[in-house]
Amino acid sequence: MADTTLLALFEDIDPAADAIEKLHEMGVTDDRINVISGVPVMHKMLGRPHPWTNVSRLALGGAVAGFCFGLFLNYGTPLLYSVPVGGQYITPVPPGMILIFEMTMLFALLSTFLGVFLDSYFPNYRPLDYVPQISDGKIGVFFKVPQDDQQKFTDALNQVGAESVEPHEARQL
Amino acid sequence: MAVSSKYFSGSEKAHEEHHEEEHDPRESLMFDPLPRGVMNQMVMESMLTTSWKFWVVFGILAFLVATCFIYAWGYMIAKGLGVAGVMRPSYWGIFLVNTVFWIGISHAGTFISAILRVMKAEFRRPFTRAAELMTTFGLVQAGASIFMHLGRVWLAYWLFPIPNERQLWPNFHSPLMWDLLAITTYVLGSTMYLFLPLIPDLAMARDRSTGWRKTWFKILALGFRGTEGEWRHLTTAMNIFAFAIIPVMFSVHTIVSWDFAMAMRPGWSSTVFGPYFVLGALHSGMGAVAVVLFIMRYTMKHMDYFIRKEHFDALGKLMLIVTFAYTYFFFNDYIVQWYGGDRATDNLLHWLEEGPMAWMFYQLLLFNLAIPALTLWNKKIRQTPWLLALIGLIINLGMYWERYLIIPVMLTINRMPFTWKLYEPRIEIFLTIGTFSLFLLFYLAASRLIPLIPVWEVQEGQMTHSLRKVGKTHVPTISEFE
Repeated sequence: MADTTLLALFEDIDPAADAIEKLHEMGVTDDRINVISGVPVMHKMLGRPHPWTNVSRLALGGAVAGFCFGLFLNYGTPLLYSVPVGGQYITPVPPGMILIFEMTMLFALLSTFLGVFLDSYFPNYRPLDYVPQISDGKIGVFFKVPQDDQQKFTDALNQVGAESVEPHEARQL
Repeated sequence: MAVSSKYFSGSEKAHEEHHEEEHDPRESLMFDPLPRGVMNQMVMESMLTTSWKFWVVFGILAFLVATCFIYAWGYMIAKGLGVAGVMRPSYWGIFLVNTVFWIGISHAGTFISAILRVMKAEFRRPFTRAAELMTTFGLVQAGASIFMHLGRVWLAYWLFPIPNERQLWPNFHSPLMWDLLAITTYVLGSTMYLFLPLIPDLAMARDRSTGWRKTWFKILALGFRGTEGEWRHLTTAMNIFAFAIIPVMFSVHTIVSWDFAMAMRPGWSSTVFGPYFVLGALHSGMGAVAVVLFIMRYTMKHMDYFIRKEHFDALGKLMLIVTFAYTYFFFNDYIVQWYGGDRATDNLLHWLEEGPMAWMFYQLLLFNLAIPALTLWNKKIRQTPWLLALIGLIINLGMYWERYLIIPVMLTINRMPFTWKLYEPRIEIFLTIGTFSLFLLFYLAASRLIPLIPVWEVQEGQMTHSLRKVGKTHVPTISEFE
């Protein structure tokens, strides 16, 4: 039986949370539900699983890479291209700490930024499940159900306070 | 024991007045919510409503940029640095004054956005973006000023560690190389930090635009919808940025101060120059934010809803704290140099107090220390936007004088009196006008190309705030959503 995507719009968090609970009761698993909102809504409020993110790991990886690059710039390259100045050490430690710090932070920030792109699949200009009312403050619950059960789910979500429950097709944003 | 009412003569009246002065929490933006759709509409209208006055100002600024920035710089590149006033003993002139000044201005954005975000200071919400834009645009001016100072700007790539056959390699022991690395890190970091919280607002603007604006916002919004995952990645990244950008901000102006403090030169060689410069940067940056908020509130539609007296009040308090901290470091730096008794330093200090630039020194004291410290105590002054903006402007003038005294003047009054010759800026004056015009032009353009108010952050704040009844009154209460 073919699946169809339904979109239920809610004015507030409470009915959206009730609706997700209802969907769970009716056998819809979390991987078939997608919640979209105009402000960050904590997963706990909606009774949803903790969303996974790699951003902090990537940030840490970037910091380590930056640290190594700073070490290389400071202690590696002067040995290749030495700049003798006033009898100073070719590879002094105190100025090296500045360079290493800046490179560590730069790489950490760059990889954090890149992490958002990688984890969120940005940029994404394909047709997507979305309606503009969401950025007006509505909470959209998209879920996939068998086509024949569409009416049953629509009635159930209307009962818990959905403003509208309608079939939805991905569209260009 | 009964207390005679005579001890409280007039107290009833005072009590009534006190009640009248009590702040109604519902006047606060966080307790005065509007539906999200209405707020979106207000921000879009502020962005799309453009009067003829806007285009007049835009045209004037564009003309100034074309003549004072592009033409003047091109002329200097064609003719050489000889058209500038820099010469022995003052090889560092207004270009580096501008660099330090603009880096200082850029500190406000990070301070307001990152530190206040980490500290969960709620008043920051409506004006973080305006401050972050100052960081990015200020750093552009700082970078341009460095390139102007380079003279042979086409050789700038020599600063980068590119393996080559020229037997040139950047000296990583040099504070000027540290500058390059720190400013590059700060420019990239603060631009990314500006962009991340902007994405949801760009998506909001995408949903409400048509024509070329729709395409513009669609490209910039990157396909953001607001899924749980997208919010999680975005808020995690913003938290990392908020913590990580703070030490970068401190490092940048500390390193800028080391350009001077690492030299054994009267007035420069100081161990407190790092924190002194950071505080100076915050001092000028906060003042500049006050000016920008004032202009936004009075020139852009609906901004009086988002930027209220409470925000000027909070900003004024921050400015007062920064004034005290700055005063402390200024005095610390001054008295240690004065007490040291070094002949050359004594000469310099006498020269500052009695020489031809003494007017600048006394204006510095008046504008940076006395005026803010004596006025910002007053709540009415803090809550009067034009007055706070005026104080912010005065602080910035004082901070510009401070940098002028530190760079060309302290380079002039050195250990070799026979070289003393006051620096006289020439083409630098036009280029300075050019950088200021370019900063304003960027800001003006940004006000029409991106939402200046982070609507989703304002709405998030309004969702977390509520009034709770305690006894006979309602008290503001904030929930922890994170």
